[in-house]
Amino acid sequence: MLVIICPNCGPRNDNEFSFGGEVIPRPSVDTDPATWRRYLYMRTNTSGWQSERWFHVSGCRRFLNIERHNVTNEIRMVTDVGGNNDA
Amino acid sequence: MRDHRLDPQPGELIDRSETVSFTWNGRRLEGLEGDTIASALAANGVRVLSRSFKLHRRRGLLTATYHDPNAMVQVGDEPNVRAAHLNVSEGMEVSAQNVWPALSFDVKAANQLVSRLLPPGFYYKTFMAPRRLWPWYQRVLGRFVAGGVVNPEHQGGEYDHRFAHPDVLVAGSGPTGMAASLAAAEAGASVILVEEEPALGGHIRFGDDSDLGALADLRAAIEGQPLIEVMTDAVVAGRYDHNWVSVVQRDMAHVEERLVLARVKTLVVAAGTLERPYVFRGNDLPGVMLSTAVRRLINLYAVKPGDRAVVLTANQSGDAAITDLERAGVEIAAVLDARTGETVVEATGRKGVKTVVDSNGRRIDADLLVTAIGWTTPTALLNMAGDRPVYHSGAARFLPSSLPTNVLAAGGMVGDGTTDQLVEHGTAVGHEAAVRAEAVKATWRGGAPEATPRDIKGLDVEDHPELYRSTTHGFVDFSEDVTSEDLFSAAAEGYDSMELAKRYTTAGMGPVQGKVEAVNALAVHGEAVGTSLLETSTTTWRPPYAPIRLGTLAGQYHDPVRYSPIHPWHESHNARPLIAGQWIRPDHYGDPQAEVGAVRSSVGIIDVSPLGKIDLRGADVPRLLEFVYVNKWSKLEIGKVRYGMMCAEDGVIMDDGVTGRLSPDRYMMSTTSGGAGVVWNWLDDWLQTSFPEWDVKMTAVSDGYASINVAGPNSRELVSRLTDIDLDPHQFGYMEVRTGTVARIADCFLWRIGFTGELSYEIHVPANHGLEVWESLLEEGQDLEVRPFGVEAQRIMRLEKGHFIVGQDTDGLTQGFGFGIDWAIKMDKPDFSGKPELAWQKQRGDYPRLVAVQTDDPSIVPPEASQIIDREAGIVGRITSSRMSPTLDRSVCLAQVAHNRAAAGEKLDIRLPNGTTVPATVMEHLAHFDPEGTRLRV
Amino acid sequence: MSRRTRFSAWKLITHGLSRSPWPKVWEHHDLASAYDVVIVGGGVHGLATAYYLARNHGITNVAVVEKSYIGSGGSGRNTAIVRSNYLTVEGSRFYDRSVELYERLASDLNFNVMFSQRGHMTLAHNDSSLRTMRWRAEVNKLEGIDSAVISPDEVKRLAPFIDTSDHPRYPIVGALWHPPGGIVRHDAVVWGYARAAASLGVHIHQETELTGIDVGSGRIVGVRTSRGSVSTSTVINCTAGWSSLVSAMAGVTLPITTRPLQAAVTEPVRQFLHPVIVSGSLHTYVSQTARGEFVFGASVDPFTSYATRGSLEFTTGLAGHILELMPAVANMRLLRQWAGLCDMTPDYGPIIGPTEIEGFYVDVGWGTYGFKAGPVAGESVAAMIANGKPGDLISPFGLDRFEKGTLTAEKGAAAVGH
Repeated sequence: MLVIICPNCGPRNDNEFSFGGEVIPRPSVDTDPATWRRYLYMRTNTSGWQSERWFHVSGCRRFLNIERHNVTNEIRMVTDVGGNNDA
Repeated sequence: MRDHRLDPQPGELIDRSETVSFTWNGRRLEGLEGDTIASALAANGVRVLSRSFKLHRRRGLLTATYHDPNAMVQVGDEPNVRAAHLNVSEGMEVSAQNVWPALSFDVKAANQLVSRLLPPGFYYKTFMAPRRLWPWYQRVLGRFVAGGVVNPEHQGGEYDHRFAHPDVLVAGSGPTGMAASLAAAEAGASVILVEEEPALGGHIRFGDDSDLGALADLRAAIEGQPLIEVMTDAVVAGRYDHNWVSVVQRDMAHVEERLVLARVKTLVVAAGTLERPYVFRGNDLPGVMLSTAVRRLINLYAVKPGDRAVVLTANQSGDAAITDLERAGVEIAAVLDARTGETVVEATGRKGVKTVVDSNGRRIDADLLVTAIGWTTPTALLNMAGDRPVYHSGAARFLPSSLPTNVLAAGGMVGDGTTDQLVEHGTAVGHEAAVRAEAVKATWRGGAPEATPRDIKGLDVEDHPELYRSTTHGFVDFSEDVTSEDLFSAAAEGYDSMELAKRYTTAGMGPVQGKVEAVNALAVHGEAVGTSLLETSTTTWRPPYAPIRLGTLAGQYHDPVRYSPIHPWHESHNARPLIAGQWIRPDHYGDPQAEVGAVRSSVGIIDVSPLGKIDLRGADVPRLLEFVYVNKWSKLEIGKVRYGMMCAEDGVIMDDGVTGRLSPDRYMMSTTSGGAGVVWNWLDDWLQTSFPEWDVKMTAVSDGYASINVAGPNSRELVSRLTDIDLDPHQFGYMEVRTGTVARIADCFLWRIGFTGELSYEIHVPANHGLEVWESLLEEGQDLEVRPFGVEAQRIMRLEKGHFIVGQDTDGLTQGFGFGIDWAIKMDKPDFSGKPELAWQKQRGDYPRLVAVQTDDPSIVPPEASQIIDREAGIVGRITSSRMSPTLDRSVCLAQVAHNRAAAGEKLDIRLPNGTTVPATVMEHLAHFDPEGTRLRV
Repeated sequence: MSRRTRFSAWKLITHGLSRSPWPKVWEHHDLASAYDVVIVGGGVHGLATAYYLARNHGITNVAVVEKSYIGSGGSGRNTAIVRSNYLTVEGSRFYDRSVELYERLASDLNFNVMFSQRGHMTLAHNDSSLRTMRWRAEVNKLEGIDSAVISPDEVKRLAPFIDTSDHPRYPIVGALWHPPGGIVRHDAVVWGYARAAASLGVHIHQETELTGIDVGSGRIVGVRTSRGSVSTSTVINCTAGWSSLVSAMAGVTLPITTRPLQAAVTEPVRQFLHPVIVSGSLHTYVSQTARGEFVFGASVDPFTSYATRGSLEFTTGLAGHILELMPAVANMRLLRQWAGLCDMTPDYGPIIGPTEIEGFYVDVGWGTYGFKAGPVAGESVAAMIANGKPGDLISPFGLDRFEKGTLTAEKGAAAVGH
């Protein structure tokens, strides 16, 4: 169980969060199938530091950008995605 | 029988005023309060505790600790109990495992005679032909399983979990661990001190007077320190990422065991060392014991371990054992000092040690052979923290190499020292642990750590001879009956890396998990392949450090369920419960077919509270709806509701429901019951990550409203009796929403929709009034013969009406087109979730279609998931929903079929689970009943 | 086969009595400067591919490069379940061939892989899972696979320790019963293939890590390893768990994320659980090995990782679920836990076939079901290399399906499909 230091809620166990994976920018909807399906399916899946999206579903319900080392599970950065709809 | 109990010893754990009677293989014996099962048996002169796994050799105490490979017994219902750890209690029924018919005479001991024919992995080389006999071979092999017996009637027992948040957790309570705890607490840290044995002290419990004095002082100091919580008879089982630490507490008053889940800021591992057995011929005979084992027996339990002993010693522990044995009146037949090159070559005897052969060829009569040839560092917790311990040839043991800053190793884990030196080292480590814990907390508070980690000067390492195997072969893994000869032959056969050899011979795979045998195995295997593996390898232990009962891991298992506010009524009216995800809902109240009849002929009510409800407000709600639904929303008028379907970015249908506009900028979205959370998160994702500038405020209100669907031709009449809302069809038409009071409850909203195909009003009332409104509806509708209906009746009616259910009639690959609502998918919208995939789907055209299907024989209901087959093409579709329709008095189905088999009138063959095929026909409309929808629009 | 000693009961006796050493199961070789085929990954997939290349197609100038010891990845970390009761036609056909190969693997390889066909039972706890079981059973039957939905009474008869009362949170409403399913000794499969492949001339290079793949004008020209470079025109990536990293060396991106899958084993107790038990709703599967241990598995971890450390939550959740099914085992003890790495694909189907780089093939994307596919994947990949194109059994599983949008439909049933 990792500790994720949520910028809104403080240190919390990872089971309060849901994992969203690598952040892949969404292409224009007018794009070709190959580009769209790269967005849907293809992943770098690197080993080491990874920028990924998490959702604090049982906390502030904010989406977060996290930098995590996916071998050691060390976390070096957690920020709110910044959109302030519900703020 | 002779009593082997000694006169009182200064550090003994037993209470001589309390005798405890128990049985051993049915024979009644007495021990003392404070005795372990093993010490009580030893006091009674019992030397043979078990038979070995493969060869069924007699085995006695070896380490006299929890991790003794030879001391696993059955206690009542419980298999594999550690006899050298668990205290004996009144009435306990203890028996030997792995014996038939009896411990003293075991038929399978015949395996010893053919042991040469049963080399490691022998089963990989035989039993292959003839193939038909393989099941029989398997049954025979199965009979040779070691281990105790599980009682099918065993009822579990009480277990629980506790969450703890100590600053510092110290594993091990020898002088180092006690000192570390005290120093950390003095620096202001909250501390949990965990000790595997029943009392604090570690090895100084069987030390000399000055050790016992130091122990008393340390214990008193700990008792006086409120910041230290002591857990004895508890074990640190695992260290996981971010210092998440599990502790099993065994000596609990109200539960069998407790699992402590601790978020530890700094973990101090002060686990000391484990004594290692020596490998030589006969090293598993009862009577061959480690020096610490005899010292435990004598000092802690006042048991005389034998009459005449040979001691092989390479260190102070062996020397101290000689002193203890002499004090206990054991005759010392010979001392073999390994520091001068003397050693043991062989021990012989049938039921136990009788003769010891030394390296000078002397044959010495003895019933006890004590070995003190070295130590294993129990680095399990360090391994779990990522450490790869390194072999130190001078110390003849592994030492930690590099640890994360939140883990510190102390005491015997890192070096050697006198009790004073260990206390000094523990104190320094404990203080540093407290400082580091503060730094972690500072980071958690969002600040910078207040201090950088400081290195603590380690202990010196004493020279120790490297002793692993004598000139003869003996057992390396006692639990698995693996000898050094087996390791040699595995290496010769090509299993020449430790990992392969371990897997091939199963050395280290048994209940002791390497604590006793791992380092010997590495040394012997290295000898076999001709390189010092100790120098080039490391030891790895996987969690848990000690085995944990499944009950302890489970704790008080809770899987939450959800009930509607109307649930008490359902329960008291014999509703058959339906488990739907987390929800427990009424499936029916006894007769679902009659419930359908009531709705179709007059009026019924169903509790649909589990429906997801999301309150959406703000100027940009229409933009959000346009984006997440496939259909159009920009022109939804106030008071209107509309059906919507959501697709994911791959075009796959993810949810559906209706959304209504209650006021200029307030909307209410409904979702499926199972999709409520998913949709809520989905909307938040888009709003936060893609459209942060939109003005949308979102609140999930699923639990805020109880929802009741009133359905049937008389639903208008019934609802009108309870509401101030004008239900005149010209004022409140189909697919519209109104707000008002129901049964005098304010702030309700109603929408007029028709999942069942009947005129119906879905009433959403503030949740705490749900039951009241439900009862009012039943009360007011008595003359209309109103009847509650459950999920089953609703499913029948929606199927009659041809409405699909996401997740039942659709599957993980079902994209938007082909499900009867193609008209609603607006490809002219500039953007919406899944749009590109839907465009390509439409272009392709070859996607499966949802169709209504009727069997030619109306009495046959093909079970859901029956396959639709074609002689040439194979599977061309499947039945996704099917029921007997009480309304039509025939079976009705929905099916997914291939695009070229979906035309109205198409003949299909449905294969039933019993293998027969029945003919059926594709219908013109999805609705089997009232396809024009006249009943909805009255 | 002539170069190796045959194993048999008679040989056991003669070797035992004479104390003569057994011949080596495989030899060490120097890395040659060129191979016809380089297989990356010495697990069951890589070794089976090597074996079938040599035995079925006479292609023996083959190297298997393994960064650790053979079977050190998923092949030695799985729960050793074999079955063919998949949801889709293509899945059922593919795995049925695997079961067939497993059934005769011991005599094929002259190495007893201890395949124990004790039956595989997937419990249904609600109507919708029962519907999925029936779907699988119906598709399986059409493919000639022994698979049927059974009642709670039959569940009780086959596995008396299971609580089939209606009290539990997850009552048992039926099950999918698949008699040919079972368990196998996973290490033995790895060693059996390695020994047989080695005897046919394949070079198995352990402790040899791939460090690069050389591509020239869109085709494979060689590989680099920690022990030197090799020229070759054909590289097969059989490194499920690490496949994205190996493919990236050739510039190929995959639709894969890596997640740990955890497993655990208890202490041995006397035999009492015969079939393999699976519960999708409870994310659990369990079998009792010939050694008497319970082996448990669950679903993949909640986030991606290349770490093979276990988690505490896996064991606590697992134990709760097991006790829901079998309350009597509360005082059995969990002995050891571990994790393996899984290639997760978007449609829960494997990826087998050529890539945009000529000569670079993948046999990856094995999710949580790679071990049971080892023999058929090896046989099919070997045939693909020999014939130059994928055969019918594997053609639905090509990498191009993601660009074409023709995903396999196993997604529905595979969430915990052991």
